[in-house]
Amino acid sequence: MAVVETKDLTKVFTPGERGAVNDVNLLTREGEFMVFLGPSGSGKTTLLRMIAGLEDPTAGEILIGGRVVTHLAPRDRGIAMVFQSYALYPHLSVYKNISFPLRAQGVPKEEHRGKVEWAAGLLGIGELLERKPRELSGGERQRVALARAIVREPTVFLLDEPLSNLDAKLRASAREELTEFHDRVGTTTIYVTHDQIEAMAMGDRIVVLHEGFVRQVGSPREVYDDPADTFVATFLGSPPMNLVDHGDVLVGFRPEHLLPRSLVEGQAVEIGLRVTGIEYLGSERILYALIDRDRFAEQRVVAKLPATYDVGAAGGDAVDFAVAERHLRFFDKTSEKRTGARALEWA
Amino acid sequence: MSKKKRSKSSTISRRDFVKAAGVAAAGVGTSVAFPLGGGAQERKTLKILQWSHFVPGYDKWFDGEFCTAWGEKNNTEVIVDHISLGEINARAAAEVAAQQGHDLLMFLSPPAAYEDQVIDHGEIYQELEGTWGKPIDLGYKSTYNPKTGKYFAFSDSYVPDPANYRQDLWSQVGFPNGPDSWEDLHKGAKAIKEQFGNPCGVGLSQELDSNMALRGLLWAHGGAVQDEEGAVVINSPGTLEALKYMRKLYEDAQTAEVLTWDPSSNNRGMLAGKLSFACNAISITRTAEKQNPEMSEKIQLAPALMGPVRRIAAEHVMDCYVIWNFADNKAGAKQFLVDYIGDFANAFKASEFYNFPCFPQTVPNMDELIANDPAAKPPDKYKVLGTVLDWATNIGYPGFASAAIDEVFNTFVVPTMFATVARGQATPEEAAATAEKEVKRIFDKWK
Amino acid sequence: MGLRRDAGRLGAAMFAPALLYIVALVGTPLVLAFLYSVGNVKVGSVGYEFVGLDNFISVLQSPTFRGALLHSFLFTVGAQLIVIISANILALALVDRFRGRGLVRFFILLPWVAPISLGAIGWKWILDSIYSVINWVLVQLHLVEPFDAPMWLGEGALAMLSVIMVHAWRMLPFSTVILLAGLTAIPKDIPEAAAVDGAGFWRTHFQITIPMMTPIINVAVLFGVVFTFTDMTVVYILTRGGPYNSTQVLPSLAFFTGILGGDLAEGAAISVFLVPILVVIAWLMLRLARRAEVV
Repeated sequence: MAVVETKDLTKVFTPGERGAVNDVNLLTREGEFMVFLGPSGSGKTTLLRMIAGLEDPTAGEILIGGRVVTHLAPRDRGIAMVFQSYALYPHLSVYKNISFPLRAQGVPKEEHRGKVEWAAGLLGIGELLERKPRELSGGERQRVALARAIVREPTVFLLDEPLSNLDAKLRASAREELTEFHDRVGTTTIYVTHDQIEAMAMGDRIVVLHEGFVRQVGSPREVYDDPADTFVATFLGSPPMNLVDHGDVLVGFRPEHLLPRSLVEGQAVEIGLRVTGIEYLGSERILYALIDRDRFAEQRVVAKLPATYDVGAAGGDAVDFAVAERHLRFFDKTSEKRTGARALEWA
Repeated sequence: MSKKKRSKSSTISRRDFVKAAGVAAAGVGTSVAFPLGGGAQERKTLKILQWSHFVPGYDKWFDGEFCTAWGEKNNTEVIVDHISLGEINARAAAEVAAQQGHDLLMFLSPPAAYEDQVIDHGEIYQELEGTWGKPIDLGYKSTYNPKTGKYFAFSDSYVPDPANYRQDLWSQVGFPNGPDSWEDLHKGAKAIKEQFGNPCGVGLSQELDSNMALRGLLWAHGGAVQDEEGAVVINSPGTLEALKYMRKLYEDAQTAEVLTWDPSSNNRGMLAGKLSFACNAISITRTAEKQNPEMSEKIQLAPALMGPVRRIAAEHVMDCYVIWNFADNKAGAKQFLVDYIGDFANAFKASEFYNFPCFPQTVPNMDELIANDPAAKPPDKYKVLGTVLDWATNIGYPGFASAAIDEVFNTFVVPTMFATVARGQATPEEAAATAEKEVKRIFDKWK
Repeated sequence: MGLRRDAGRLGAAMFAPALLYIVALVGTPLVLAFLYSVGNVKVGSVGYEFVGLDNFISVLQSPTFRGALLHSFLFTVGAQLIVIISANILALALVDRFRGRGLVRFFILLPWVAPISLGAIGWKWILDSIYSVINWVLVQLHLVEPFDAPMWLGEGALAMLSVIMVHAWRMLPFSTVILLAGLTAIPKDIPEAAAVDGAGFWRTHFQITIPMMTPIINVAVLFGVVFTFTDMTVVYILTRGGPYNSTQVLPSLAFFTGILGGDLAEGAAISVFLVPILVVIAWLMLRLARRAEVV
């Protein structure tokens, strides 16, 4: 087990242009499941590849288990990686795929079978050892890739969007399995994804990246409830957080907190809405609306209501909604960073 | 690599013009079909294919003077196509396959294999006999098939294959006039190599010059590929003597370069001052006169070397014209050859004494000419060629040239036999036995 | 309906030139060669008589032919071995981006683009007995004596090595381009996965990359073998089969016997002698390629 640390890690592909990764400082915890989350082009994969040793940093340092590995070859870092494509060796059987790291690292041959069977058993693919990768389903391939990663008991696991090639149904169960798997082996894991559900569901902590910068590091709850800036606020959550212009600040509130007045308890801000559209999504409803009063008029907001509540409103109707004050978040308009709460002159 | 030159005796082909005019006039009326005709005979065409001569001046004379004059006199358009010597056989095979091509095609070796495809050239010889006498034996044996009684080609000339030696080197080892015998050659060449480093250049490669030189060596020692009747006799004591001699010469006076050669390598070796001796046509000395006057003075000629049995050498090149059975203008082709022999004195001069006549009477003053060459140093350098008929012979010696002999020649059985012995790859006995097997096999096929 | 029939006719018309080309320039000569090889056709003969396998039996008696058969294998295997190893190295060197890669690729392709006869003539001079630049350099460096320089085309083994090297030089660009394509087709992930798994350069190359390229290497080798087995240009120009037939290969022997020697039937027999061998090689290679097929 080991922790991964990066110090001012930077990667610039084309000199003169903005770096793909900029001054990233991170420190995992022992045995932590850390998720790098960001849209495509956010630098999350580049960051992971630098940690793996597949990409040479332009500046900064990487430490694994306290040892500087910045310029070491991947094989000398004690890591294992699962690729988005799984990168199974197509000409080798499952058994040989899993035992390849053992061979490559000079583990005595007589230990191979035991270790391979242990790893395969852990992932429930003990029956598939003689098959070739092309004879496996997507889910099976993913497990082989995991088995290959775990077989030599690495100190750190790196996973690059390992679920993105699975269909939606399989992805949900795989998510759960992965979490369970991590709990069992307890190895420090870095997991890259663009899927916020995966990040929220699996991560001990989430690192939100945007344009090569770390925007926020925190537990799923922290990044969701207390976004550090407007990017994090709007990137996480579906639909994203409403941001309403209010003088020199932006006021943010989650769609699920924008509720009919009657449902909101305690200190609340009332917001009159004119509904422009409704989506019925089974378990919930999404209400698209414009604010209907004074100087906030015509700003778009979205509300998410449980299906159990019947709004009764239709397009064009004016309704009274409200947000509890404790659910309001404030962002500085120029820096877009989180700022302190203030009184609103709403009406 | 092939040099192809097409020269025409008249710039516009009348025949083509008439044809084109006829087509154009077809719709107008037949009266305008021959606007220039006026009752004149239609002009004929004679197409000739031959090599690009080693002496460019010869082609200039042949195409530009002789053919032009002949064409005018015989109301014929003469077209001469020149190709490089290596392409002739392939081209001939193609013409036979297509059953069309040139009216006259010149080979550089006896084309016995094509006998069924050509006319009997005997009548050309007959017609010439009255004026110029019989052809030399070399010409006769290179073009006549005694089994069928047919002349499968007509030979106008041949190229002698004398010895070329570096007089400056040879005089320093006691042979001021060069080697006279194969024994002299071994003695002198060995001494030269030891003293000056220059190797001797008797070719052992899969090419023309080696093929010719080694046949001379073989015959001089009493060996031969076939006898007078065409029986295979290559595995003979004479052959073994020749092989033993070659091994000795190779070890004492030659280097492996003789195994790498193409036909022009010994020319280059002599001109570069590297070789002390080579067997070749007079191309070496002629090139030296033009490109390297200093070396020209040093390289002198000697007749074929004397062996234990005889003094003999193969012709270097045998001009053999054939007229295909399928030729369009057979009569013209025959007449052309007859008239060409009539003018051979000019051909001899134009070729710078490269081509020697098969009808010696056509060049009555030959001895005088070759004793006074303006380019040669000394002027009588080529005088030794005067005795050429005493020692030059045809490829199938002592028998006739034949298709089987030709295949033996072109698959390099003789050079291979000599080379394996020279390099110690086989004993003389083994090499002769192997060659015999190969030659017998080839002879069996052509029976 | 009419439109479709027109389209059909148009298709036939468009296809005809290709068919004509194949029939005229590939099919006819091949059929002729087979017919000749079981006939008694000489270069100047009229008519055709079936003689069965006589020509084959005859050539098998010939020591020259047996030598040429052996040399053909030596020539082919030797040249292909050098080509495949070198092409692997070159492809590996050229797959990564670097400054001037395009130029290097261009230069490597040159021997393939230039007519082989031209290249072979260049090599003939490089290996010449008098004017060899290699020997000139060796002499200048005092490594050999001027009259004792190696005769590249004059000693049996050296001459064979020379023709093999020159042929390899000529085939190298072709194989390099094919292998480069194969190398480029391997997803980048896979060698990266191997690197993370702990494999070094050699292990990655021999246990991952090369096995994955097997199908395409097979194609390169198959083409190379067929090209080499049937080619006489290099041998013909450099040595004409010499010295003493030690570089004689079947295609050159077929030419000397059939065209220059005048025995077309035997020449054809010598050249079609290769066909069953090539068919077997092709079949094996394609089988191997299919078995190694991945994903």
